[in-house]
Amino acid sequence: MLAPLTPALRAQLRDLRLASRRGGAAGLGQHASRVRGAGLEFAEYRAYEPGDDPRRIDWKLYARSDRHFVREAERDSALGVWLVIDTSASMGQRDAGPAAPSRLEAARQLAACVIELALRQGDRFGLLAVGGAAPLFLPAHAGRRQRDQVLLALERLNAAATLPDPARLLPMLERMLPPALVLLLSDFFDKSMVELALRLAATRREVLSIQLLTAGERDFPYAGGHRFVDPESGSELRVEAAAARRDYLERFAAARARLAQRFTAAGIRHAEYVLDRPLIEPLRVLFGGDRGSGP
Amino acid sequence: MSLALLAPLGLAALAALALPLWIHLVRRLELVRVEFAALRWISPRARPERRIRIQRPWLLLVRLLLLALLALLLAQPVWQRGGTRASAWIVLAPGVNPVGARAAVASDGEWHWLSPGFPALGTGAPPSAGASASLLRELDATLAKDTPLTVIVPERVEGLDGERPRLVRPVEWRVVPGRMPARPPGPALPRTLALRLAPDQAPSATYVEAAVAVWNLAAPGRYTLDAAPAGQAVPPTADWLVWLAPPAPALDRWLEQGGTALVVGAGPAAGASLWPDAHGRPLASASRQGAGRLVTLAGALAPHDLPALLDADFPQRLHAALAGPPPAPTAAGATALRPTLDPGMAGEALPPRHSVHSLDAWLVALIAATFLLERLIALGWRRSPR
Repeated sequence: MLAPLTPALRAQLRDLRLASRRGGAAGLGQHASRVRGAGLEFAEYRAYEPGDDPRRIDWKLYARSDRHFVREAERDSALGVWLVIDTSASMGQRDAGPAAPSRLEAARQLAACVIELALRQGDRFGLLAVGGAAPLFLPAHAGRRQRDQVLLALERLNAAATLPDPARLLPMLERMLPPALVLLLSDFFDKSMVELALRLAATRREVLSIQLLTAGERDFPYAGGHRFVDPESGSELRVEAAAARRDYLERFAAARARLAQRFTAAGIRHAEYVLDRPLIEPLRVLFGGDRGSGP
Repeated sequence: MSLALLAPLGLAALAALALPLWIHLVRRLELVRVEFAALRWISPRARPERRIRIQRPWLLLVRLLLLALLALLLAQPVWQRGGTRASAWIVLAPGVNPVGARAAVASDGEWHWLSPGFPALGTGAPPSAGASASLLRELDATLAKDTPLTVIVPERVEGLDGERPRLVRPVEWRVVPGRMPARPPGPALPRTLALRLAPDQAPSATYVEAAVAVWNLAAPGRYTLDAAPAGQAVPPTADWLVWLAPPAPALDRWLEQGGTALVVGAGPAAGASLWPDAHGRPLASASRQGAGRLVTLAGALAPHDLPALLDADFPQRLHAALAGPPPAPTAAGATALRPTLDPGMAGEALPPRHSVHSLDAWLVALIAATFLLERLIALGWRRSPR
């Protein structure tokens, strides 16, 4: 089972909130609603707790079962939060070290954090795992059950695939009805993930991206003859690492800057996360207080 | 003194030296495999260095040494002494006074005794006399060609054989006053004479018995007579056989095994004459028969057939006929014995075998020590943190 969030991380999440800059019509929830005048769509029953409004008790159910239940309605005004996770083989890459997490494990933790935020705010959330022939798609819902389902699905992901043809993803992207907040977790080394982000941004979705990088990619701490193997294509490169280091660092920094620039230009909120840093850092960048709750 | 290889082809095993070198180099060129998705930003221009760099030179060195020693072991090294003697040799025959000899020979060199093993002078007591001529030939064959040889002998030399020594090198032959100790005569061995008789030859046995009795007068108890009918087997302890019966397989067998047999003649005796009568006709003759020696008497052992039977010297004659020719003289005057120079003998030079020492045991011990060292280095390195 996915390791639960640590109490420290949970405490740090308290200051954060998911917010769409695009906004929408006002509703019952914290966000503008996409469906006007709703808030009555049945979601689930739950036991009455002191403090609940007595008017929300389902009296017919009380008559049948002699217990007090409260009708929980889905807050259809809530924001749709979508987690799009890259599960291509490069996401399995990790740094050398006894407990170094892979990119995918970090993505799971980040996704779990965002789910926690969405749950707290009563937002609906769904999952799209991009990778392999059949992408995994979980439609957006709110509630703890949905959280458990998504966490279970995250647990089952493994990074051993290539990215599919973007055309195959179209039906799933169409179900992320705007206004939606889409968070992409990927290394963005593959062009198709970048294109996916830009396409979503161009179609009125609020897109956020976290680029997951290993410490090895950031620092290139290798020395001596190395055989670098691309986990996806399998192609390999034999280089003397110390000699290639400066050139690589320059080119890689330029590529990252170019990506950030492209995303910013497209209105995408972008953050980098290196695997040896605290998880809260990219979340602070994306969901921190100074960003506010939109216009 | 030098090192020699009995099987130089074993050095071909030195080719195995390439093995540890190869292992060390391959381990060096092994590149570290790293999974790296950001491959496209690495410039492929920085090729990995192929510079030869050996990480553990001491280990490699010890491994090379181990293999070289093994190859050397295959080549069977020997430590030889005496094969290439350069300094002059001065050889003293036993009986020569070393002090007087040193005064007589001014030249410098290695002083040795002319006795088996050629012991150096001054190491222990002077040895007894040996087969001097044979020792001289052996020394000549085993010494290096260019080693000058001086031989100091007393006036009378013992231990010779039938031939005057012919040597490869010119020998400085010094005769000094003195006398070689004569070889003590061997103890008189007991002799057994087997007499095999046909029934009709019984009177002849008397003469043989009488002859043996005469022999025993000079050496009481030395001679034993074993008289028996012809059908009885000849004991292997018998030295001579007197066969007074028609020829039989037992006689042939005796001769084939190298025995000496006396038979009485039928017709003219063949072979070398041993015993001429007053008219010069051979009364007894000896011939080789198989590996043995057959002595044939001209007539039967009866006075009317062989009058010499009644002569006083018959027992001695019979003894001489059976015992064969006396040994050749083994002593001679030293001046007459000067060796002749015969370079043709060089082809028969012996390998200097007596001075070759195998080094295998030492080498095996060295290999074991090197192997232990190699293990120590290999394991010690692995345990210690890099």
